[in-house]
Amino acid sequence: MRAASIDNPRALAERMVAKEQVDSTIPESTMPPYMEMFLAHLRLLIGVPFEYLVPDARLLPDESIRFFYVDRSWTDRLVDGAIAVGKSGTREQAHHQAHSADVKAQLDLTERVVRTLQRGLSAPREREETPAQITTGFLLRSAAVSGWPSMDVRAFSEIVPAAPSNVDDPAFAQWTTSAEAVQLRTLRLELLSPSVLLALFDGIPKLVWCEEPHHGIEFGITMKDGSPFFLDRHEASGAGEQGAAPVPVPVRAANPRVVAVAQLRKQLAQLNDPKLVPQTGSAGFAIELLQLPWRQRFEGDTSERRHSSGAFVSDYPVASVITQQTVRDAVTELL
Amino acid sequence: MYLFDSVTPPLDDGSYRLTAATEVSYPGAKQSFSQQHYLEVVGPRFSVPQAMVAGSFPPSNAHGAFQDGLPHIVLSRRTLPWERELDPQGLIPPPTIEAGDPPPPSGPVPWVALLVFEEGEYTLLRGIELQQAVPPDVFARLESPANITCDAVEADQDLVEAIMPSLEELQLLAHVRWVNVEDRELNTAGGDGYYAVVVANRLPSPGAQCRAVLVSLEQRADLVQANPPAVAENAPGNGAVAAQQQAPADLAAQQAHANFAAQQQAPADLADQLPNPIFTVAQAPVHTFSPPLHTPIFHVPAKKVRLVALTSWQFTCEGPGTFRELMQNLDVAMLGTVTDVGHPPLTDTGHLQMRLQDRLGASESVLYRGPLVPFNLTRDPFVAYHSADQARRVTPETGAEDISYAAAFEVGRLLAAGDARFAQAIMRWRRESYRQSARASTIAVIAKRSSLVLPPTLAQTLHEPITPMVGGAATQAVVQGHPPIADAYGLQRVGSAPGLNPAHLAAAWNLASDAEAASLLGEDPGTLGAVVATPPQTARADTTLDTVAADTSGLARLAAAREQAIANAKTTLGGT
Repeated sequence: MRAASIDNPRALAERMVAKEQVDSTIPESTMPPYMEMFLAHLRLLIGVPFEYLVPDARLLPDESIRFFYVDRSWTDRLVDGAIAVGKSGTREQAHHQAHSADVKAQLDLTERVVRTLQRGLSAPREREETPAQITTGFLLRSAAVSGWPSMDVRAFSEIVPAAPSNVDDPAFAQWTTSAEAVQLRTLRLELLSPSVLLALFDGIPKLVWCEEPHHGIEFGITMKDGSPFFLDRHEASGAGEQGAAPVPVPVRAANPRVVAVAQLRKQLAQLNDPKLVPQTGSAGFAIELLQLPWRQRFEGDTSERRHSSGAFVSDYPVASVITQQTVRDAVTELL
Repeated sequence: MYLFDSVTPPLDDGSYRLTAATEVSYPGAKQSFSQQHYLEVVGPRFSVPQAMVAGSFPPSNAHGAFQDGLPHIVLSRRTLPWERELDPQGLIPPPTIEAGDPPPPSGPVPWVALLVFEEGEYTLLRGIELQQAVPPDVFARLESPANITCDAVEADQDLVEAIMPSLEELQLLAHVRWVNVEDRELNTAGGDGYYAVVVANRLPSPGAQCRAVLVSLEQRADLVQANPPAVAENAPGNGAVAAQQQAPADLAAQQAHANFAAQQQAPADLADQLPNPIFTVAQAPVHTFSPPLHTPIFHVPAKKVRLVALTSWQFTCEGPGTFRELMQNLDVAMLGTVTDVGHPPLTDTGHLQMRLQDRLGASESVLYRGPLVPFNLTRDPFVAYHSADQARRVTPETGAEDISYAAAFEVGRLLAAGDARFAQAIMRWRRESYRQSARASTIAVIAKRSSLVLPPTLAQTLHEPITPMVGGAATQAVVQGHPPIADAYGLQRVGSAPGLNPAHLAAAWNLASDAEAASLLGEDPGTLGAVVATPPQTARADTTLDTVAADTSGLARLAAAREQAIANAKTTLGGT
């Protein structure tokens, strides 16, 4: 058996002090890609059992959303634990000790591209070299998660005002630009179970919104506590009219769940609201029946209890009058 | 997305006769020619093939909270709802228009309607003959097509009348959509992006299993009314204050049942005409007072009507409500907020008390906090932890152990150990580093033990082999020669420094003698090194010019050398 090269009690200390390690800038000392991605996934708590995230079920009751900061020390320990695999002697410890700062710095950058790679997109060519931000996020346990898969979740570092209702308005493009400028990078957005959604953001959000998926624009009415029924007013572009009182929906005497369609149209016409679609036929009526996707906004300061509000969004071009010449030509030709 | 009231075909479905006639006249005579052709425009009439259904809401066999959505069907044939006439003979009177009503919707009346039935309200009859699906007079007006089988839906006449749209409503409930071709939602069947959409007018009840049926109303003047039935007086739409009516749905239902009961007493004699007279138990009592004694306990079954079902699908209306309701009613808070304070027992730092069995087997109470915390924490600057024990902490106040980070360490270790590929990768990472660090160590040892001048970048240029580089450096050192023999250690130079030279010191400090200075510097001149005397030159005798001239052999060598130099110069200059 080979004699131990170092056998005194201060072997580890000596090794730590007199470490001869490869400089981290040298390609040979960088982590293999799989290892780097594995550790970056750990940084985003991917694979960590749910019991470790939420140690008691009462911390995340049904129909609740809980915002949080990620304890970066915790995730650093997770990475340390992973690197501890196969660490049997002072040689491995000295190696880890010498490289841990570089590993940490590298993972701070890599963890930001995990979601990009998860989505099958290629990582951005130029990596950001800014120091790691604070990571925050939320856990959402709700029937809305299972019932409306792939909802749209975004976080912003500033409070973004509600979007202008008309997509053709130049103010809308302006609003989009300003909103994108303050949007925080989503580090992770995943279902932990069919009804639990976990989101992680790079930075401290002041506004988080969850939007009903745009799977289809349906027709329908709004119910408030079961009955009575209401209809939201829509402008000619299909956008919801801001601040307008909803229109009560008349029903038939013989069956209270049958909408009295003709009466409803009559009432819409009698509102004399110039913003509404002119009730000339079924197309105008259908626009008024559209149900717009709901966008729930969670605003508030970081430590305070966040308050939530919401609004229907209408970033969908629906038109009763054709303004584009190409479309008009196509339709004329067809009819 | 663009919406159109209707898209009508150039020709409605039906049989047509085409007559072409021309008259030819020439001087003295005139002749006419004519020819007749028959042509038939065929379209779906008693069933709509599934391929023509581009989509539906709610989706077929779906479960979900559809109670606030109006079911609709999307047809890829954009003209389908307007291809036939509902009432070509004009049996239905024109709708009455009251003063103040908006102008009636433009466009033709569609011949189809989407009706929503709930479970138990309907019977779906598959593959019956057309004669059984429609009344005889309707069959006659349909021109009695032979050998037609179709699907039909059978329901109580009262129910059908309650949900059947009127003429104007039929117009309002069908439109054409033009969506972008990129819009994948409705464009699954391909096509040009035009779809006919038929909307139902009935909202599915929560919890009900429903069937939406696209029915043909061609020639059904017996069912389609010119004017819509009465609107519920106490419905919110009629201006009533919502707060006053606790349950308008119930009131309306009571009215409906009351009407139903009143109607049922009259047509008792109709029971004989029904195909299968069966007696059913009466509906649940709708009036709290006792009915008159002569009211029969059993009443005749309601009159059934049948409609041709073009296509139909089922869905179940269940679920917790709409997205909006769910999101609005969420409990919003930072993590660590509990509804019932003290359950679970959470410290203000977000730690949770847990029982732990330590290594000795003793049970102790420890604190744990996950990675998700309600406030921003500074990051531990101490970078590398090598074991879980290193990460264990004790809280100063209670002395309880905080295992949060130790638990994190162990989770990371277990997750990594469970991944064979990660183990391979980390081993490769280490192996590569070990090899290179061993190399760096070798270079450092060589640099320390020998005075060889190695390339300064040798430690970085990993591909450079060490042995040849060291050999090359050693050869170079030999070639460049040894350092000077005299004063190898530089003591003489040190000794000649002004501060250490006794003669200079004596002059500077104005001392009496050099010896005095030497004693000040440490007495012993040997410590500073002895001055090495220059070796004496070898004495040589002086040489005169005569002795040189007498040395003929020497002069001959000089002359030969001169000749050689001139010859060399000539050769160099070109041989002249």
